[in-house]
Amino acid sequence: MITAVRTPESVADAVGHAAAGGRLMGGGTVVMAQVNSGSLGSPEIVSLRRAGLGGIGVDGALARVGATATLTEVEESPELAFLRDAVRSVASPTIRNQATVGGNLFVPQPYGDLAVCLLALDATVEVAGPDGSRGAPVDVVLANGVAPGEVVTAVRLAVPAPGTWFYRKAMRRKLNSAAIVAVAAVVETGGGVVTSARIALGGVAPRPVRAASAERVLIGRPLETDVLDEAGRAARADIAPFDDAYASAWYRTRVLPVHLRRAFLG
Amino acid sequence: MASQVVNLRVNERSREFLAAPGTPLLSSLRDALGLMAAKRGCAQGSCGTCTVLLDGRPVMSCLVAVETVDGASVRTLEGVARGGDLDEVQSAFLEGFATQCGFCTAGMIMTAEALLDRNPDPTRAEVVEAISGNVCRCTGYGPIVDAILDAAARRRKEDAAARRKEDIAARWGTADIAATPGTADAAARRRS
Repeated sequence: MITAVRTPESVADAVGHAAAGGRLMGGGTVVMAQVNSGSLGSPEIVSLRRAGLGGIGVDGALARVGATATLTEVEESPELAFLRDAVRSVASPTIRNQATVGGNLFVPQPYGDLAVCLLALDATVEVAGPDGSRGAPVDVVLANGVAPGEVVTAVRLAVPAPGTWFYRKAMRRKLNSAAIVAVAAVVETGGGVVTSARIALGGVAPRPVRAASAERVLIGRPLETDVLDEAGRAARADIAPFDDAYASAWYRTRVLPVHLRRAFLG
Repeated sequence: MASQVVNLRVNERSREFLAAPGTPLLSSLRDALGLMAAKRGCAQGSCGTCTVLLDGRPVMSCLVAVETVDGASVRTLEGVARGGDLDEVQSAFLEGFATQCGFCTAGMIMTAEALLDRNPDPTRAEVVEAISGNVCRCTGYGPIVDAILDAAARRRKEDAAARRKEDIAARWGTADIAATPGTADAAARRRS
């Protein structure tokens, strides 16, 4: 039973309602589904729709994406064109008109493909709380969430240099399906070998994870089939896969190296 | 907290109604306003039969808390036909037997309207992507995709006819010699 839906018109008011125990809601694609099924754990909802947290700003290679910017807005942003394929792999266009960037950080795996991308991008999450604002690394937010009473207001990221962004999502259908394995990566090369690598995986753990073992395999070596196969096998040390309606843990583990390789070589 | 008064512009009419906390837009449309085209299928955002246009964009109305969109503009299937005439998408669905059992039709048509508003000449792949959030329980996607492509062609033809009529009017000060009477009027009505 929902007793109140707050629609604060400022971040300060949103923080106040969140601190009082209201469940934060971005686009409603998760929270309203829980309302409809009677499984929402809170009687009070705090919608961020009017809190002034929308919009995408880009200054050079640095982008700041408001927490309530929709996935459609990211998809249509010329400056964030590198994310277009990844965003289009998320749900349907209709859901993308509603789902928000901030909300995507808190959806359970195997959903949350944009969060996987933000992990690979080493994004910074802007968080407002009763004691002011702070920036938090996205991996910390994905691992620990934010404190009660805190509100994610934006994410900041560096747009990767051309040719350094890689994304692949394996799913049961070509459109509108959750990740069996999602791979997002920023990998720089110089002199024919990898000089830096950040690889994030979705669908293979309770939350998006860095494939640190795979990253170590790649450093100093060329992006070639046998190296990537070795990195993909190494990445199995970084995952904690689960069974669900989309795939078994066994299957996810089995195909991870294939999709990691294909993220880079197609 | 008690129910709230919510104002929406629904199918170009101002509507005011009461909503209990957490009421989905879908429930307000059906129960408060009596607009029964949008259906309750899954209530999880997975099936798309509740799709309506919210400020011009298709959304799953079951996932919109209606109190949070006070003042917004909503378009439902009831607002598509003008003056009793089916529009191009509705006509193409009807004539292409794309309605089948009918349960997904309201959502399919609203998604198609939004697609064609933004992209008058979509490819088949673009149509398939646009309706990827709309489930057809008859699994009859072929006729639906065909109908949307057909509707796009009909609308382009009408728009071209309307443009010809406007050109003639601009040049000669009269629109009486439009090439295809009727269709140009329909296109002009739609754009107004």
